[in-house]
Amino acid sequence: MSDEQTFLVYRNDGNGSPSYERYTVSVKSGMTILDALFYIQDHFDPSLAFRYACRGAICGSDALTINKWPRLACKTQIAFLKENEREKKKKIPELYFGEVPNWNEETEILIEPLPHMNVVKDLVVDMEPFWKFYREIMPYFDANWVDQAPEKKQTPKDAKSIEHLIYCVLCGACWACPVSAKNKNYLGPAQLAKAERFISDTRLSPEHREKVNSRVMKEDGVPACEKIYTCSRVCPKGVRPGTAIKKLRETT
Amino acid sequence: MKIEEFDAVVIGGGLSGLRAALELSKKWNTSILSKVHPVRSHSGAAQGGMNAALGNTEAGKDDTPERHAFDTVKGSDYLADQDAVMFMCEEAPKLAIELESMGAPFSRLESGLIAQRPFGGAGLPRTCYAGDRTGHTLLHTVYEQCVREGVTFYDEFFLIDLVTVGDQIVGLVVMDIRSGELIFFHSEVVILATGGFGRVYRRSTNALINTGDGVGAASRAGVPMQDMEFVQFHPTTLFGTNILITEGARGEGGYLFNNKGERFMKTIAPQAMELAPRDIVARAIETEVREGRGFEDQYVDLDLTHLGAEKIKERLPGIREISIDFAGIDPIESPIPVQPGQHYSMGGIGTKYGGEFGETSLKGLWTIGETSCISVHGANRLGGNSLLETPVFGRHVGRILLKNDSAKYISNNDARKAGELAIDSIEALLKKWGNNKGKNPVDIRNKMKETMDRYVGVFRVEDELHKGLTQIQQLQRDFVDIYIPTENRKFNFSLLRTLELRNMLDIAEVTAFTALNRKESRGAHARVDFPKRNDREFLHHSMVYRRNGELNLEKKPVKLGIFEVKERKY
Repeated sequence: MSDEQTFLVYRNDGNGSPSYERYTVSVKSGMTILDALFYIQDHFDPSLAFRYACRGAICGSDALTINKWPRLACKTQIAFLKENEREKKKKIPELYFGEVPNWNEETEILIEPLPHMNVVKDLVVDMEPFWKFYREIMPYFDANWVDQAPEKKQTPKDAKSIEHLIYCVLCGACWACPVSAKNKNYLGPAQLAKAERFISDTRLSPEHREKVNSRVMKEDGVPACEKIYTCSRVCPKGVRPGTAIKKLRETT
Repeated sequence: MKIEEFDAVVIGGGLSGLRAALELSKKWNTSILSKVHPVRSHSGAAQGGMNAALGNTEAGKDDTPERHAFDTVKGSDYLADQDAVMFMCEEAPKLAIELESMGAPFSRLESGLIAQRPFGGAGLPRTCYAGDRTGHTLLHTVYEQCVREGVTFYDEFFLIDLVTVGDQIVGLVVMDIRSGELIFFHSEVVILATGGFGRVYRRSTNALINTGDGVGAASRAGVPMQDMEFVQFHPTTLFGTNILITEGARGEGGYLFNNKGERFMKTIAPQAMELAPRDIVARAIETEVREGRGFEDQYVDLDLTHLGAEKIKERLPGIREISIDFAGIDPIESPIPVQPGQHYSMGGIGTKYGGEFGETSLKGLWTIGETSCISVHGANRLGGNSLLETPVFGRHVGRILLKNDSAKYISNNDARKAGELAIDSIEALLKKWGNNKGKNPVDIRNKMKETMDRYVGVFRVEDELHKGLTQIQQLQRDFVDIYIPTENRKFNFSLLRTLELRNMLDIAEVTAFTALNRKESRGAHARVDFPKRNDREFLHHSMVYRRNGELNLEKKPVKLGIFEVKERKY
């Protein structure tokens, strides 16, 4: 397969208003959105800014809004997008970054930053609010470290019960949540899922569990969730934060 | 000039750096710099696990640190420093348990103890794991503890150069990626934990950020590169993107097949079969492909289908996800197409003979993790030993340093003057790059990767290595005249990638140079023209210094004395 593909890319130097630029790239088999962005940076505009690290969907650096749907750029095959245009018709509340000039949805791929975060430059957003809320839920064990055998035991079943929550790569895709859009104090789906990862870990001390729990049950935490489940729909790692929030709500 | 002052600065937010910073922050004013947010670090990509002789399983109950150390030394083709290996293997069970107590969500046995699986180069289950996302879970766990302890982070800060006064390090020139500003970090203790540098190759499992920034900076400051010819090619990387397919896939019982439907490992390692060490399996696959027994002349099949859906879903969910997302193949139904690809850098920043583990010849400069050459992996690393090395030496170096009070040997005035000079010289370099009418660094980068893949790969031979070295040296000359826009420095990734290329070219050149000079085959270094190991002439570490643009090769003895040097058979 060698094909031309046009990308419509959100640009913003952080000073003025955003714009969209078109780039046409010749597409090779297996090419991903991240590959295309590097091609654009290498061949058309060295100033194009976007984050990346592992290119293997494990580091969480490159979550972007692609065709109005949050995805990891490295994990999104261009061919897949073309073959699955219908997929984006699935319902999530609209993500708006500015007026898109004449976007031909059938032929052009639209690349925008993560929603509901401030843009620093082009596709790079300020993740600090995301990390601030992450720190707020106290995402850690509070026990003293020990290094002498035997280790603390846990049944395979208990270990398994938090496994899907551990897959979270903190990419920020779930901040497409409409509550995150309107409420800047909302802790956020990833943060609440992380809280649930700790709360439901059988090894956590009851005192720390209580601390995490009382933090997330405040007004801007679990009660702020409107059960829209955008987070679970867009999560690229199958974490299902919405279900985790539901569990937090029910068990406390 | 903007200045930040610390007792110690750690560069790199992967497992090694985080663990060191966690220790140092107990007493010293410490900061940790990383060019990406720490949880984006490449430690998170490690899949299979971390070795520790816990003896938790029935099959592994007689395991000991000595056996672990022996397997490691043998796996290293006897080039590893045996005292460092013994130390690491004795520490291993302690660090596994410590990580558990920090909250690491290890997979468990029915007994409730940490589960262990077999890995290549070991005769029994020794590798602790958390599904096939072990690195990810450990990286998050140690980062969480850093959050708990309030460690000072500078996320998205890029190391450009080290600053020295005489033979003492006094700090670093760093770019704040967000603003593009150059900052002098003043500190007389610096720990480089900047990870591997596989991106000098195109076919590599490494993250795109693995560019050896610490190795380049240390080398420019006069610290040698050590054992750079030893590059591990992982036998099973996904054909196409070269994303890692963990050794755990073979540990769980996966088979390798050529296009004749033969399990070709049976002729090469009749006992260990698919679980022979990585260098041996990588060469076996490369040979199958070169001799026409591969598929599309590119890859062989890694077959998991006989393991069944349940086992694949439970033990190897990440591998299944990667295969589906990046190759459109469900390993429950069809074999995974795999080929060898650069995976791990056994070499790295040279360490001082007779010094503490991780100490370098530059006073105050330490190095840990993949970027260092301590050397616990020698000529070939065993699977599960890289995750292990990170907390072991992170904690160790932290502890060694904390035995003394923080002290400064150079006056503030002299240190700042040196910092100013260093920043001025980087400013001048960036200005030159911005004003040149020269070559595009993108072309140089691509040519470097092609050259390394082609001439300094799995199999090596004199004339090809020579060609490779000559080409890299030409690229070095081309690099002097590059043009890149440097005016607007805010999140200027093209500029960062050019600074990375500056480091990678130095690394590529030394890799080709040492590979050419080591006229023997040992571990991952396979010379077609010198197929035998030659202990008489080459049982030593290669130390390369760059002096006035010339490469000088020196020898450092290997620490022996615990295990007898023998032929390596599996």
